[in-house]
Amino acid sequence: MLRTTLAGLRLHRSRYVTTVLAILLGVMFVSGTMVFADTLNADYEESVMGSATGVDAIAEPAAPEPPVDEGPEPLTGDHLEEVRALPETASAGGLVRSRVVLLDAEGRAFGFMPPAAVAFDGPVRFSAAEGALPSDGGEIALATSTAEQAGFGVGDTVTVLDRREREREFTVTGLVNFGVDPSYSGNGAVVLDPGTLEKVAGATGYTEIDAVAAEGYSDREAADAVAAALGSAAEVATGEEFGLALAESFGAPTEMLRIALLLFAFISMFVAGIVIYNTFAILIAQRQRELALLRCVGAQRSQVFRSVLAESAVVGLVASALGVLAGTGVGVAGSAVVGPLVTGTETGADAVVTPVAVLTGLAVGTAVTVCSALIPAVRATRVAPLVALRTSAAAAGLEKGTGRVRVAAGTVLFAGAAALVALTRSTGPTQEGPVLVTAAALVAFVGVVVLGPLLVRGAVRVLGLPLRRAGVASTLAVDNSARSPRRAATAMIALTVGATLMTGYSVVSASLETTMTAQLEEQFPIEYQLNPQFSLEETGPDEEPAVPTVPAEVREALADEPTVEAVYGQRTTQVTLDDGTPLSVMTYTGAVIGTDLATDAVEGDVSGMGPGKVLLVEHYAEAAGAGVGDTYTVPVEGGTDLELEVAALTDGSGRFWGATLDEADFTAAFPEVDGDEVLFVDGADGADPAALREAVFAAVDDHPTVQVGSAAEIKEQFSSVMDVAFYTIAALLGLAIVIAVFGISNTMALSVLERTRESALLRALGLARSQLRRMLSVEAVLLCLIGAGIGIVFGVLFGWAAIGSVLPDPQISVPLGQIAVFVAIAVLAGLLASVVPGRRAAGTSITGALASE
Amino acid sequence: MSAPSLGTAPVGGPPPPVPVYAAILEPFTVTEPATQPAPATTAPPVVVARGLTKTYDTGDSRVHALAGVDVEFHRGAFTAIMGPSGSGKSTLMHCLAGLDAPTSGTVHLGGTPITGLRDKELTLLRRDRIGFVFQAFNLLPMLTAEQNILLPSQIARRPVDRERFAHIVEVVGLRDRLGHLPAKLSGGQQQRVAVARALLNAPEVVYADEPTGNLDSRSGAEILEFLRDSARDLDQTVVMVTHDPVAASYADRVVFLRDGRLVDEVADPTAETVSSRLLKLEA
Repeated sequence: MLRTTLAGLRLHRSRYVTTVLAILLGVMFVSGTMVFADTLNADYEESVMGSATGVDAIAEPAAPEPPVDEGPEPLTGDHLEEVRALPETASAGGLVRSRVVLLDAEGRAFGFMPPAAVAFDGPVRFSAAEGALPSDGGEIALATSTAEQAGFGVGDTVTVLDRREREREFTVTGLVNFGVDPSYSGNGAVVLDPGTLEKVAGATGYTEIDAVAAEGYSDREAADAVAAALGSAAEVATGEEFGLALAESFGAPTEMLRIALLLFAFISMFVAGIVIYNTFAILIAQRQRELALLRCVGAQRSQVFRSVLAESAVVGLVASALGVLAGTGVGVAGSAVVGPLVTGTETGADAVVTPVAVLTGLAVGTAVTVCSALIPAVRATRVAPLVALRTSAAAAGLEKGTGRVRVAAGTVLFAGAAALVALTRSTGPTQEGPVLVTAAALVAFVGVVVLGPLLVRGAVRVLGLPLRRAGVASTLAVDNSARSPRRAATAMIALTVGATLMTGYSVVSASLETTMTAQLEEQFPIEYQLNPQFSLEETGPDEEPAVPTVPAEVREALADEPTVEAVYGQRTTQVTLDDGTPLSVMTYTGAVIGTDLATDAVEGDVSGMGPGKVLLVEHYAEAAGAGVGDTYTVPVEGGTDLELEVAALTDGSGRFWGATLDEADFTAAFPEVDGDEVLFVDGADGADPAALREAVFAAVDDHPTVQVGSAAEIKEQFSSVMDVAFYTIAALLGLAIVIAVFGISNTMALSVLERTRESALLRALGLARSQLRRMLSVEAVLLCLIGAGIGIVFGVLFGWAAIGSVLPDPQISVPLGQIAVFVAIAVLAGLLASVVPGRRAAGTSITGALASE
Repeated sequence: MSAPSLGTAPVGGPPPPVPVYAAILEPFTVTEPATQPAPATTAPPVVVARGLTKTYDTGDSRVHALAGVDVEFHRGAFTAIMGPSGSGKSTLMHCLAGLDAPTSGTVHLGGTPITGLRDKELTLLRRDRIGFVFQAFNLLPMLTAEQNILLPSQIARRPVDRERFAHIVEVVGLRDRLGHLPAKLSGGQQQRVAVARALLNAPEVVYADEPTGNLDSRSGAEILEFLRDSARDLDQTVVMVTHDPVAASYADRVVFLRDGRLVDEVADPTAETVSSRLLKLEA
């Protein structure tokens, strides 16, 4: 029986080409992802381990006991001396770490937070990758990634601000590769010599002591000796342990990437599964007589079943093997391109092709193929032996009508989906909202599968009306597309999956962007926002963490500018409520709340705000049992509590979170909060944008650490982030769409095979080759349009539902341009899908086709 | 390819025949075996084939499906081509109809040399000037009977002669079956649809390839009567390939083929004369 199967496979090889391609692409995605993620992981490990295994013992200050809420006590010079004195160690070095402000080429502070400033006191696990480490007060080394981002190289002069914000110039002598450790790679890092670091940043004590084992001692013995010497002050690990721990804790991003990619791989495999199912279903239908003949000569049902499954297993295995090969290539290429971006290391590790990656690809591909062939295989067993003796009817390929059960089931499913969506609409945004919407989409999708044949028939009838006028080729195409609606529906649904996800995401993305932009504009009609760079000053354990503020001179300078209409400052402080929960108390200086700054209140009116009143976030009001007009108490530590009238309740999503006070009340209650954390600059009406920009930058010229953000830039950044996300996701979904197009092409090709005699008849009756090709093109385009159309409708619907389940007051934006592109792609896909079948149909000889049964 | 043969304009030879519906053929007087091809009529023949050969290369051996056939068919004549299996009768029909190209020799249709025409020109020729009835699979399953009948006109974007349509439909008895899909029609009805389609445009010649092969004898007789009547009443030229002596007996003339050669001919045949000739050929 197996021999028959294999012989059949060899004979019909060409029928499986597109199926193989579909599986191949899906498997390629799966194993490509695995190889990609594994290689990235190896990159991480290599770069982390590389530095850590350079030393044998690494001591870090022990974390304080839990109740104490402060940072670990750094190790001291005495500790370092002790370690150096140990007979088990050959050498030891200490690592001092602080932060300094580094100015970029334009004289503005580098990064959102100041980069780490470190000094190496003796040999440590880091060394210069290029050039040399700084040896005196005029020299500096930069982290490789920092140098690249800021555009500095060895020999350049860079400016660093010391703790009093005085500028100091250094010459770059070397570059240090800090690898992926976020302590250094997060905000960048600079290396100074120990003495200079103390002067510039005031840092003392070691955040790490690294030791190299003396000859004759293992790293374990050295680490144990260091641990014994330092006692409870430090936690000690061998270099290898340290590296492994680091790799494990920072390997997470690659795992996230792996999961995200596998999700898309899953979608591709799902679509491939639909394509495979359809191919086998059609092949079984076409081979009825062959199967019946097998049964006539004595094959049992189980043998027929096994034969079909064996066929699918062989096809699946071969295609998966090819897919794994292709996937390995793609994974290696991908990690070579993306690797340096993700890990920050220059030299990518060798490609890692684990047996797991290979086996997963093979297993997933084969399993999906065999499972997809299960139903067709069962159908194959139902073929009666008598069929072999029957002559083929003229009605070959025509399906019976779809039953009422189908209509009923489909209607129930759609109603269920609608009910789920209605539920999310009625409850508003909740945690469960997106899950419910996803569930609704899945239910509705099952509905499409059930109703598919009817949908195809209906859509063909509607779309066919104009096409029927276009000529005989189009008319025949319309008739053809409706003749086996079940087959057409399955082919189309593969495309619907991709189209739904693509449209859904584009609606979500566009709506998100519109909503955010609208909120930004509504709540903040400002041009510029000034933030201080994050804290420079080390705060003692007793002090409140100081919130950095924008210097008052900046505000004064801006207020005098003619191009500036107004400057608002944001001030906040924290108080603790009676029940122990913290409450942010804030105010906006220089702004009339409700006029200059406004938002839609949940209850009451923001414009009713004034002295003696408070804007409160809903849940605080609820906790206190206060409504609009009631009195709310804001506790003031070391002062008299404020008794305020609630003016309005907000949802806390906009500019008013916690409790917002009038400026006068705030200043009276919290006189110590006298700095603006953020400054908002409102340009004068009609002011030249360039002049305004110049004025803003002139105001902060003496304060390089103040970061200037413009509303336009923020919007631009936001939309460019959204765009990148959109194109990435579109590219990832693209593969699923390509697979679906293969499926449609395959369905067409198999139908053409089935209609060989029909095509010959048409040609005999005088249909030109080009008309025959056009007929198939129109049929394929029609199929693609219906598939994409349903997908687009679903995408818009569920995109809308998804946005509504997440955002309270979303502005739905349907990206018509993108949808037009999708439709164009669908037409193009249909044309492409019909190329091969069209050639085959037009190329067949008429007499040959008429003669063959 | 030879440049002068492009186009469908007649190159020399007899001028294209003018439809003369008045010319009704009288039954032939030749009833006894004739060893020589007898001239059927004085009017110029519609289809003329000269020296047709068709050779197939099947690996090592060469098969001569046609080994030099000279034959002509006259307006309004109903001719049957007979012969044992493998005698080349289907190949002859395919070459005559422009479905297949002969290895050598010429075929003229109404004065137009069709050998040497390009595919596109052959397509137009078939569309506008030839009708077909095949043994099986004559109809497109997704079109109704009416749509199937009108299909060639639609392909050609030709206005339909509704009167002729009504007349033909009436004659073949399909009037109340026009809206049915082929699957809902009996084999005989399906074949009648095919005949109606072939006759609708009054093509210069109708080729029928075993039109009764799949039918019971009563349905078959009906189809053959339609073909015979259309030749007599509508002056329609019909060429039919068959291996059934009874079917052949409906024709005005039977030509016999063996091993790719025209070997015999009977005018005004009966089933018995045809059978006996066939037996002689097969012997």
